[in-house]
Amino acid sequence: MLKPQVKGLLLDTTRCIGCGACALACKERNKLPKTSDDVLKDELSDKTYSVVKQVGPRYVRRMCMHCVTPSCVSACPVGAFVKSDSGPVTYLESRCMGCRYCMIACPFGIPKYEWEKKAPLVRKCDLCADRLAQGLKTGCATACPTGATTFGDRDALVAEARERFRANPGRYNEHIYGLEEVGGTSVLLISDGKAEELGYPAGLDGTPPAFLTWRALNIIPDVVMTGAVLLGGIYWIRNRRDEVEAAEGPHGGSPKEH
Amino acid sequence: MSAMPKLEVPRFTFWRGILLAVLALGFYSTIIRITQGLAGATNLTDEFPWGIWVGFDILCGVALAAGGFTISATVYIFNLEKFRPIVRPAILTAFLGYVLVIGALMFDLGRPWNVWHPLVMWNPHSVMFEVGWCVTLYTTVLALEFSPVVFERFKMTKTLHVLHVVMPILVVLGVLLSTLHQSSLGSFYLIVPTKLYPLWYSPLLPVFFFLTALTLGCAMTIVESFLSRRAFGKSLEMELLVPLGRVALLLLALTSVIRFADFRHRGVLGLVFAPTYEARLFLAEILIGTLAPAVLLILPKVRKHTTGLFLAALLIVMGVVLNRMNVSITGMERSSGSIYVPALTEIAITLSVVGVGFLVFALAARYLPVFPEHEMKEARPIVVPEGGNLVGQPIRSLPVPALVVVALAFFGAVALGADGVRRREVAPGPPAPSATKPELAAALASFTPPAEIVFPQAPDSPGPASFRHASHVDASAPDCLSCHGNTYSFLGRKEAPPAGQMHDTKHCGGCHDGTSAFAIEADCSPCHKAE
Repeated sequence: MLKPQVKGLLLDTTRCIGCGACALACKERNKLPKTSDDVLKDELSDKTYSVVKQVGPRYVRRMCMHCVTPSCVSACPVGAFVKSDSGPVTYLESRCMGCRYCMIACPFGIPKYEWEKKAPLVRKCDLCADRLAQGLKTGCATACPTGATTFGDRDALVAEARERFRANPGRYNEHIYGLEEVGGTSVLLISDGKAEELGYPAGLDGTPPAFLTWRALNIIPDVVMTGAVLLGGIYWIRNRRDEVEAAEGPHGGSPKEH
Repeated sequence: MSAMPKLEVPRFTFWRGILLAVLALGFYSTIIRITQGLAGATNLTDEFPWGIWVGFDILCGVALAAGGFTISATVYIFNLEKFRPIVRPAILTAFLGYVLVIGALMFDLGRPWNVWHPLVMWNPHSVMFEVGWCVTLYTTVLALEFSPVVFERFKMTKTLHVLHVVMPILVVLGVLLSTLHQSSLGSFYLIVPTKLYPLWYSPLLPVFFFLTALTLGCAMTIVESFLSRRAFGKSLEMELLVPLGRVALLLLALTSVIRFADFRHRGVLGLVFAPTYEARLFLAEILIGTLAPAVLLILPKVRKHTTGLFLAALLIVMGVVLNRMNVSITGMERSSGSIYVPALTEIAITLSVVGVGFLVFALAARYLPVFPEHEMKEARPIVVPEGGNLVGQPIRSLPVPALVVVALAFFGAVALGADGVRRREVAPGPPAPSATKPELAAALASFTPPAEIVFPQAPDSPGPASFRHASHVDASAPDCLSCHGNTYSFLGRKEAPPAGQMHDTKHCGGCHDGTSAFAIEADCSPCHKAE
C-alpha cells in the first residue's frame, strides 16, 4: 500500500504582506470569535489558533508546527492527541482530563487552555484535518494571496523551499526551520532572517524531545525485573537467616523476639 | 489502646485555631474553584500552566510520602526488626499522603471527572500515564499494607493471617512502584530540555528525584516521630532514628557527588554563581537542603541529640520541597517569558491539603492502633541515649556551632531566595514590533490577485457583470480585510452569488453607496457589459 503523503505548510516571511487573511480564514473555518480589532494584534489563545506578528520589518506567522514526533502526543496520558498519517496533530477532546502536560511539553508553546470554562479543553490548530480529508487545502493556505503560506506534501514543500533559495540568490537565510528541528515538523518556515530571531524557539536540535522521555521509560521493564529479583533475594536471605536461627536456637549476643 | 477513647469536645488550642482558619479558607477557595473555574481560582496562564498545585501538592506530596516504602523495605525486606515500631506510622503517613495528592489533583485537573481515563485510555509513551498507574496501584498497596491495623481494631484474625502471608509480596511491589513513580516525577521534565533552566534540567532528573525521595523518606520519619512525640507522647526512640539520620547523610553525599559530576559534564557549573534569580534559589536549595543538614549530621553530638536530629531532618525536608518548587516553578519561568505568583486561593487549597493531612493522621493515631504498645515493648531492649526522653532535649542544650549552622542555613536561604525574587524579571521575549514599516516590495512581487469572478445573470440584468480583484485591490498595499474581514468568506463560497440581489448592502451595494465608492445609479455600463 502506498504510504499516505504527509501534508504540511511552507511559510515564507519574504512573501508575507501582513494582510492577516490567514488568521481570519482560520477564525472563519474554526468558528472562533473576533478577539481584537486589528488582526495583527491577536495573540495565540483558546480563541485564536493562528497569528501574524510584525517583527521588525517582517510579518511572521505562528501556529501549531504539527511535529513529525510531537511532544504533546507523547506526553498526553490518555492519548488525546493523535498524529495522523497525513500530517495533522489532532485532539480527541472527549479523552482529555485537563492535566495540561501537553502545554508543558510542547517546545513551541502552542496548546492553549480554556481557563475561563467550567469544563475546559485544550485548543490549537489542527491543520484543518477535516478539509484535508475532503482534499481541500488548509483555510490559511486558501486565503493567502501571496503564497507566503503554501500547502502541499511535506517533501514537495522542502523541494519548493530549496527551489526558492536557488531562484533568488541572496534573498533568503538559507535554512528551512522545521526540517530538522525537534526531529522535523510539518509546518516549515523560510525567511531572510533567522527564525529564532523572529519569535521561534531557539536551541532545538534534531532529537525529538519525546525520545528523551522514551529513553527513560524503556528502562522500566529492566528496573522492575532486576528490582524484583534483588528485593526478593534480599528478603529470602535476610529472613532465611532468622529461620535457621530459630531452628538451631538463638546464639550470639542479642536474643530474638517471639 | 483497645478501649474506645471517650468522645469529648476538643480543647481549643492555638494550633487547632490555625487549622480551623486554614480549613475555612480552603473551603471558601474550593467554592471559588468550583464556581469560577481555574481562571477564577488560580493565577495559571497559557504561558505558565502548572503552578503550586502541581509543584507542591503533587511533586512534594508524593516525595514527602516516601517514608512509607523506605521504612517498609527496611523492616520487611532487609529484616531490620528494630524498625518495626515505625512501620505503621510511616505507612499511614504515606497512605494519607497519596490520598491527599489524589484529592489535590482534583483541584488542578481541568476535567477532574475524567481522572480515571488513563486506566482505560492507554498511552504507554507518556510518563504521566506511567505515574498515574503507579500512584493508583501504590495507593492500593499502601491501603493493604495499612489494613492490618484496621482489622486488628475489629479483631478479624483470619483476614489478618492472609495479609501476613502476602505482606512480603505487597512490600516488594510497593518498593518497585515507588521507585518507578518517584523517579518518574523527575522524568516529567525530561521532555522540556529547552524550557527547564539548565541548573535543574538533566538527563539524570529521574535519578535525582529518586535519591532525594529516599533521603526525604528517612528525614520525614524522623520529623514525624518528633512531632508524634510532642503530640501523642508516643514514638520511637533515638536508637532507631539516629541510624536513619546516618543513612540520610550518606544519601545526601551520594546525591551531591552525582549532581556535581552531572553539572561538570554538562558544563553548567558557571551558572551556579551567576547573578541570576535561578542561581540564587539554587544556592538556597543546596544550602538549606544539603550543606546545613550534612554539617549537622556529621557532628555526632548533634546527630544523637533529639532536637538536633529533628532540625537536621527538617532542613532536609525544606531542601527537597525547595528542589521540587525550583524544578516546577523557578526553573520554568524564564522560558515561559512570564512570572507566576500563586493566587491566594491556590495557597489556601494547598495549606488545607496539608491541614487535612495533619487532622486525619491525628484522628487515626487516636482511634487506631498506629503506635502499637505491645510491639514497642517486644522490640529489643531500648537503649535510651543520654538525655534522650519523651519530650525531646531542649534546643539550648545543642552545641553552639550547630545552632549557628541552623540559623545561617535558614536565614541564608531566606536571604538568597529574597535576593533571587528581587532579581526576577520577565525574560526578553521576541523583539517588540518596531514602528518601522515592513519592506513590502519583495513580498508584493509575489502578490497575484485572484482570477475574475463572473456573476450569474438575473433576467432583468442589462448585461453580464463580473468582479475583478485587480481593479478593487491596490496592488501596492493590498488590504484583503476591508472586504474579507466582514462580508466575504476567504474559504470559497458555499453557493453562487444570488442573482438579482447584488445591488443590496450585503454585496456590491455595501461599498458602492456613493461615499466609499461610486453609487449604483442609472449608468449600468461601469459594471454590466452591454451585450
